[in-house]
Amino acid sequence: MNIPVTIFMWVMAFLPIAVLLVLLIKFQWGATEAAPIGLLITIITGIFVYKADVTLIAAESAKGIWNALIILLIVWTAILMYQVGDEAKAFLVIRNGMRKLLPNELLLVLAMGWIFESFLQGITGFGVPVAVGAPLLIGIGVQPMWAVIIPLFGQAWGNTFGTLGAAWDSLAMSAGLAAGTPEYLSTALWTAAFIWLWNIIGGVAICWFYGRGKAVKKGLPAVLILSVIQGGGELLLAGVNTTICCFVPSTISLLVILLLGRSKLYREEWSVENSPIMNRKFTSQGADETPKDMTLVQAFVPYFLLSIITLVVLVVSPINEFLGQVKIGFAFPETVTGYGYVNEASESFSPLSIFTHASMFLFVSSILGLLFYKKHGWIKKGGVKRVFAKSVSMTMPSGIAVIGLVIMSKIMDGTGQTVVLANGIADVLGVVYVVFAPFVGLLGTFMTGSNMSSNILFGGFQLTTAKLLAVDPSIILGAQSAGGAIGSAVSPSKIILGTTTANILGSEGKVLKKIMSITIPATILIGIIVFAVVGL
Amino acid sequence: MEQKGFFQTKAGGLTIAFIVIMIAFAMILAGLYMGMDALCVIGFVLIVAAMLYSPVDVYVIHRKDKR
Repeated sequence: MNIPVTIFMWVMAFLPIAVLLVLLIKFQWGATEAAPIGLLITIITGIFVYKADVTLIAAESAKGIWNALIILLIVWTAILMYQVGDEAKAFLVIRNGMRKLLPNELLLVLAMGWIFESFLQGITGFGVPVAVGAPLLIGIGVQPMWAVIIPLFGQAWGNTFGTLGAAWDSLAMSAGLAAGTPEYLSTALWTAAFIWLWNIIGGVAICWFYGRGKAVKKGLPAVLILSVIQGGGELLLAGVNTTICCFVPSTISLLVILLLGRSKLYREEWSVENSPIMNRKFTSQGADETPKDMTLVQAFVPYFLLSIITLVVLVVSPINEFLGQVKIGFAFPETVTGYGYVNEASESFSPLSIFTHASMFLFVSSILGLLFYKKHGWIKKGGVKRVFAKSVSMTMPSGIAVIGLVIMSKIMDGTGQTVVLANGIADVLGVVYVVFAPFVGLLGTFMTGSNMSSNILFGGFQLTTAKLLAVDPSIILGAQSAGGAIGSAVSPSKIILGTTTANILGSEGKVLKKIMSITIPATILIGIIVFAVVGL
Repeated sequence: MEQKGFFQTKAGGLTIAFIVIMIAFAMILAGLYMGMDALCVIGFVLIVAAMLYSPVDVYVIHRKDKR
């Protein structure tokens, strides 16, 4: 590549991200409105500053649309699943049932906003925990904005090793780490260690949001126990099997929180009456609408089905291999910018394995759940039509934003803007760069909405930079992926999944502002730890 | 009060924008496959136009209506 890494080039590459952030946070624009503006700036910069021709931009746009469609399939089916539960009034049953099992309201919020999302992240990922978690939290009386924020924290720690290790595998692939080698093991352990720290921060943050110091004091024992299981378990298992090192601890934590609800510390009814995240009016609503004959287990049927189907298809190799044979992908030619930045040709770009894709699990679980609820008479006349009609009208706004954001990241990547951003940071900062290593990971996930994409985008760059600076690549790569995991909490395309299912579309800026107050200090903390370790 | 049809609502407008983007996607793919740059350019212009529907609607047209 011959792109000059100058201040001008760097500023121009950063401009779309800066404008996006300003529009979302300062001006409180919705992502549907802000994303196209960021995209427009990226296109202008790509053509006039990074010397890309319109065919290259069009090709990257098409790649972006394809990648966005793969994400949107999950959004649409997650919303369908939500609408099925909503139509059957299952969330009212879940709210009442979980209340009985977990009389401590803080523990209930932790269970529905952190532990259940961790479980979903362990198997599905791709924003499903946020899309599914937000309405569940609203169902227990959490205010819609907080019902989006809490699952974003709850799912973030599981982004690297969750989805059965997809993002971790992409880091290993892009950094050339062969499974079983000392470098592979060392990187896995550093990554898991940083993620454990973030896991604790996430748990404490949820307590803080719920009831400030009083709730932190009450919830800390539970958070520490659950974090030892999740973060500690992941660290322990990362050295053994990276595919299940998130899924297994997150499943155990799901069982442990129910046991905690029976412990002396949490078995009594307890709540912070003036909790800033709870809607006290809401909790008294819907009592008459609750289906009397629906049990908690029956209300959870679509989610149980989702877990079972996902596990069977992803873990049982013969089934996975058989269903994974059907792949859809499109060919793209090689494109080159005026600076010689090459996007290699692909015979099948980002192929979609439709039958092993999370959206298929969600779709099948939703339909089976719908049939189950209908069989028991919980779906009223005209309910099936309502479920699909509401799903369609709820999904379109988020669709445009996701498409805009993904196209933006593809054009930035395809014109060399992303590389200039990363190289510029490393060139200017020297060894101090290591403090910012997790920020690069965070930036990657912010832009692409995926820890996996962030690792693909920056894994090689982080490795090269670490070698240039003569520091241990394992710790830098660990910081990259941990930063990427944290970034999944601030990624607009993930936030919008929550605002869509929580029915507060357009509030993405408010959500982002609240989340950044925790994610930025947490990322700085990891950066400082990296700097301290490297300096030793 | 007169009830709006689906395509007169924001969700309806965005649905049309989404359909336009899908058509543009097919045009770009066809253009790349057949080596017809003009098709790619038309597809790309359609994407930009469809993407800008929402900000223009909210911050230009709707703002004017409010005034």
